[in-house]
Amino acid sequence: MSLRDRGGPLAGVRVLAVAKVWAGPYAAKLLAQLGAEVIKVESVTALDEMRAYGGVDIEHAPYFLSQNTEVLSMRVNLKSKQGIAQLRRMIAASDIVLDNLRPGALAKLGLSYEAMREIRPDIIHVSIKMYGSEGPLGYQTGYAPSFAAIGGLTNLVGHEGRVPRGMNIRYGDTTAGAAAAFGAIAALHHRERTGEGQQVDLSAVEAISGLVGDSLFAFALTGEPPQHQGNAHSELSPHGFFPAKDGGWISLACDGDAEWRAACEVLGHTALAHDTRFATHLQRHCNRAALEEEIARITAPHDAADLCARLRARGVAAWPAASSLDLVASDQFWSDGTYRMVICGNGDSRPVVGPSWRMEPDEAALACGAPTLGQHDDYVYRELLGLDEAEYEAFKASGAIS
Amino acid sequence: MTALTGITVVETAERVCGEWTGRLLADFGAQVIKVERPGGSPTRLYGPHLGGESAVFGYCNTNKKSVVISLDDEAGRAMLGRLLERADALIDDHDPRWCMQTGFVPAGLRKRFPRLVHCQITPFGQHAPDDCQRAFPINVAAAGGWAWHTPSESDPADPPLMGAGRFMPDYDTGLDAAIATAASLLRQRRTGQGQFIDVSEVGVQVSRADVVLGRALAGDDEPSHSRRTYDMGGPGDVFACCDGFVHLVMLTKAHWQGLRKLMGEPEWTGEFPEDWLEFQCTPERVASFREQFRPWIARQSRNQVSAAAQALGVPLVPVSTAADLIANAQYRHRSYFQELGGTCYPAVAYRMTASPVRLTSAAPGLDADRGEVLA
Repeated sequence: MSLRDRGGPLAGVRVLAVAKVWAGPYAAKLLAQLGAEVIKVESVTALDEMRAYGGVDIEHAPYFLSQNTEVLSMRVNLKSKQGIAQLRRMIAASDIVLDNLRPGALAKLGLSYEAMREIRPDIIHVSIKMYGSEGPLGYQTGYAPSFAAIGGLTNLVGHEGRVPRGMNIRYGDTTAGAAAAFGAIAALHHRERTGEGQQVDLSAVEAISGLVGDSLFAFALTGEPPQHQGNAHSELSPHGFFPAKDGGWISLACDGDAEWRAACEVLGHTALAHDTRFATHLQRHCNRAALEEEIARITAPHDAADLCARLRARGVAAWPAASSLDLVASDQFWSDGTYRMVICGNGDSRPVVGPSWRMEPDEAALACGAPTLGQHDDYVYRELLGLDEAEYEAFKASGAIS
Repeated sequence: MTALTGITVVETAERVCGEWTGRLLADFGAQVIKVERPGGSPTRLYGPHLGGESAVFGYCNTNKKSVVISLDDEAGRAMLGRLLERADALIDDHDPRWCMQTGFVPAGLRKRFPRLVHCQITPFGQHAPDDCQRAFPINVAAAGGWAWHTPSESDPADPPLMGAGRFMPDYDTGLDAAIATAASLLRQRRTGQGQFIDVSEVGVQVSRADVVLGRALAGDDEPSHSRRTYDMGGPGDVFACCDGFVHLVMLTKAHWQGLRKLMGEPEWTGEFPEDWLEFQCTPERVASFREQFRPWIARQSRNQVSAAAQALGVPLVPVSTAADLIANAQYRHRSYFQELGGTCYPAVAYRMTASPVRLTSAAPGLDADRGEVLA
């Protein structure tokens, strides 16, 4: 039984998400976008901080509404014995428990993986922690930029010759969440084949290391420490961001001399293609600073979008660096499903960012936005757990459901 | 036994994004057959090379098999067709023109192989205009918005940054493609039916910014051309110490109290209100904090000061180098690096109690498995 048949490849899979802030809820959302029934465990006594950011009204919190597409909400007070008892019954009715609370927090509630296995032997416990759930440094905690710093990403992002500043501070949670979602689906396969559940113990910093894995592997092979190097590329030249009109920037990458010559033609400087400093890849590579200076001088007065379109028309890969305004104003993203309209639990219709995939046939429907707190209490407690009216009311009165 | 044992995936992908998708599936025990053009996948050309082998190719293609098939001729295309007849999934990352030329277009494949899960990765998805069908990772990072906003507190005079290394967007794309493909393979187990999956590389970048961008989409936040729209404010940043760099996040009163204790309560910290991070975090205070914190942190050693900070509840962490990670006690404990043929490979970010991931074979030599695959 599920609340609604939305279709999708994970239809029939139920996920209990004891997840807060960003990485955990993002993993939950990806599973929901594939058709899983995701039920978020919430309580007014321990709100997801995302319900509190950006205002005082927890039902109109911009971060929360931007995130929890097709996620259901049940209230359980985890400080209440009766609440925990109900949560245990929900674990028995779920395929996956996804948790990104602090290391050890779920165990303190009597819900370690071993304890959950007693409740449901084939449960899949997906644990998302900064450094994994145990081990010598497992106690450490941090935020997305901490993952990126420890995981080796930050050290490799920076302008040449300056302090490596890393990716934008927001980067990291969602990649960690995606890695967790993949682990969850792999565990579903294992269970489908063998009947066996398991714990998937994700380390967010290791998920980040996967993004620089080729650099780590090259270091293991050569002993040569990888360095941040701006936008330099050993195989493509030119390769980088070049200025455009009104503060714009264009990304430009040429694979081979023919593409470089085509780029020079579009830029109106065919002489540059024959300049002995730049005629071959090796020359461009060796004279990179001079090359980039020449190109920057030429691109600076052009409109970024127009110049990139003309370059692409000649087979040269060029795109403007998109600002938030460019992203929001993109007709393409509004029409191709990158952005979706959903109806939130609070009744508002709202655009949200959709998944990166389309499926044919049987793509999961995405119609509902983020839920209000406890919006699906009736479904969970009455339909799934079969409480009678008196029990249900008593739990609400006692605060177990609050 | 691993989770995807028994599943056969054919990979015609020739870029890092598609190869990474295949590797993620191969990690879990899927048999991934890499179909390479005569001469080999273009990714074999990416440096650095050791003993003639590309490190990038070596990283992205563990646990796979290789067979060379020329799709320029009828015999080769027939051969691929026969492989697909017994495959569960196909991973490809070519543009529609290549698909037309080889005859492996999505609609045709669906008709011929209704049980096949076909994952096709392109920069903007299948329905994008012709000139949007070929992009390098730097273009994907540009079009998806992260480059514009990287690093935090970007100076408009500095160029945007594409990320770490040459392929960062490819790895994020591979994750989403593997998620969608694995989910679809679960559906295939249950229904016997295939699906066509159309993955947009730029869509992945946009999805990774969901809460930041979502607020702008809905008008909660003003979208703009500012380089700082994704920033959070606050004093957090990378700081130089005596043997490298650390990263500090500071958001709460407790963080501030912990940091003061860590520094031995220096006098200048008394100028800051206790709750300045939550309620009085002005740009002037941020600048003043950084100015006075810098000389202190510059004398510390990155790993020691990070451990001491963590003990006080302060999210101060080392900016790890590659060597740091290989030596990292937690990485060792979790066996993040796995040894294969005397070489240390980054493996996977999860430990799984029932179906642990093992790297079992290095990236295949070109056409190494021809006999076995075409038998």
